[in-house]
Amino acid sequence: MATLEINAGVHATTVSDRRALAAGVVEMTLDAPLLARITRPGQYVMAIPPSAQAAATALAVYETQSKHASLLFFVTGGRTRELAALRPGDRLDVVGPLGNGFDCSGGARDVAIVAGGVGIASVLLAARAFVAAGARVRLFYGARTAELLVDAHRFADAGCELVLATDDGSAGERGFITERLTREPKPESIVACGPTPMLRAVARIAEELRVPAQLSLEETFGCGVGGCWGCVVPIARESAQAPSFPPAERGGSDVVYARVCREGPVFWAHELRW
Amino acid sequence: MSAAPNLATKLGGLDLAYPTLMGSGCYGTGEEFAPFADLSKIGAIVLKSVTRRPRLGNTTPRIVHTPAGMLNAIGLQNPGLDWYLERELHKYGDRPCRIVGSVAGFSVDDYAYVCERLAARPEIAAIELNVSCPNVASEGETFGCDPSLTAKVVRAARATTDKTLIVKLSPNVTDIRAVAKEAQDAGADALAVINTVRGMAIDVETWRPRLGNVSGGLSGPAIRPIAVLAVYEVAQTVKIPIVGQGGIETLSDALEFFLAGATAISIGTANFTDPRIPERIVTELEAYLAGRGLAGIGDLIGKANIGFATPHQYEGDEG
Repeated sequence: MATLEINAGVHATTVSDRRALAAGVVEMTLDAPLLARITRPGQYVMAIPPSAQAAATALAVYETQSKHASLLFFVTGGRTRELAALRPGDRLDVVGPLGNGFDCSGGARDVAIVAGGVGIASVLLAARAFVAAGARVRLFYGARTAELLVDAHRFADAGCELVLATDDGSAGERGFITERLTREPKPESIVACGPTPMLRAVARIAEELRVPAQLSLEETFGCGVGGCWGCVVPIARESAQAPSFPPAERGGSDVVYARVCREGPVFWAHELRW
Repeated sequence: MSAAPNLATKLGGLDLAYPTLMGSGCYGTGEEFAPFADLSKIGAIVLKSVTRRPRLGNTTPRIVHTPAGMLNAIGLQNPGLDWYLERELHKYGDRPCRIVGSVAGFSVDDYAYVCERLAARPEIAAIELNVSCPNVASEGETFGCDPSLTAKVVRAARATTDKTLIVKLSPNVTDIRAVAKEAQDAGADALAVINTVRGMAIDVETWRPRLGNVSGGLSGPAIRPIAVLAVYEVAQTVKIPIVGQGGIETLSDALEFFLAGATAISIGTANFTDPRIPERIVTELEAYLAGRGLAGIGDLIGKANIGFATPHQYEGDEG
């Protein structure tokens, strides 16, 4: 995994653009030169609600281009509804960039990126990094319906081959995108972000294929910066990501809880003990 | 031009440059928030509770966001006292604010054992006794819900140290005043009022509880009026200082707690909204005091009664 550096801060940004990618799916672009410069693929920010009436929301940094960073999110409740209501010119303060991000330096020549639903928000920068490194990149992208397969063309423009699936068959094949992963030629490396059941399936497939897989996990955050231990996942104690604190054991001596927000959100599939 | 208002305060023997504590379990060790907040502008960090033996904590999900607050059930995850003393605590010694150790336990002896060893360390300026964690299966809240058990824990801990002892009270009781009085009489130097309020949320899609632990502790603005009343009532009952806590996010919230009788305030969940909130509150508090020509927070503490017409006075008018 990428090394954890504390270069994060609180960024006062201005919304420069807002795009509705589908019903309830928003890409919010921010004037944020420093954030755009220092964010690595797979990192996220905690977006501070302008009303200050709720906890900050963890959102993936979707895209960075010169002075702009964008956040892609699905409107799922009150907190994301408030953020979705922002318009160009409005202020949005964010804490970040946070988390370890994907390791895009492994030298893999053939990378499969698996994204489910809003998981797409975490993988665009990784796709760009792998393409820039000369890898063949296939995006395995699944969603409930065609309309929710947002921005697939952007990945195609970035140089990815697309493999699509939807629950209702309205685009690509009907069924789970992970099923397609098992039928296509084996990649050298897998990167995935999406709902937990999809990530578990990716972990199983990666094990069968004997391919390393990096999974960006989904968990409800409290503080988002490592202070509350609300978002933990059991991992192998020998993992480089195992925190020194705390060493409490579960099911033997080889499993510890890591914080998804701090040690993650990206973990090696073979090191998870979930 | 008068001098700048004095924001310093005192809890027993614990001197604080600012009247703000960061709630236990909400602020990590301080290191996690240091990139986003100026730790020299807060009074103290209350560390996450430590127990005699290591605890894995609860299964996930541990957090659920709810209207005007959140439920948590972390379950006192901690590495246990020995590891903590040997491998963790020395890292916290250089924080530019006070460090308060938090002790949890499952017997009177546990509390005394952990309190003695933690309080002996120079990094620790004071001890908070967490007799009111609602999120552990083995009745962690039992102590704080029973006045006589609370007294036993406080007395046992008191015998182990001269450092300031803060006892954190549960709101999940019939009469918090009775527990407060017992804690005071058993030797507490200060009371933290309140811990989280028990709650539950259910996912109506899956029909399952949203928390791995089923129940959890509610925090955030949702519980603020409960906390303000608890502080007010406890302040009428005891003479020792009170740390007011429960959903404080703004200067106005902080003022409510001081006026109700708090000598200091604790900020927890608000740090999850915006890590700049603690510094913003002390900055605005200073301006508020200066604007009213007040010398310090001492001029606010417990003043909620003054000038209020009581039902009794109205009776007189009608006579």
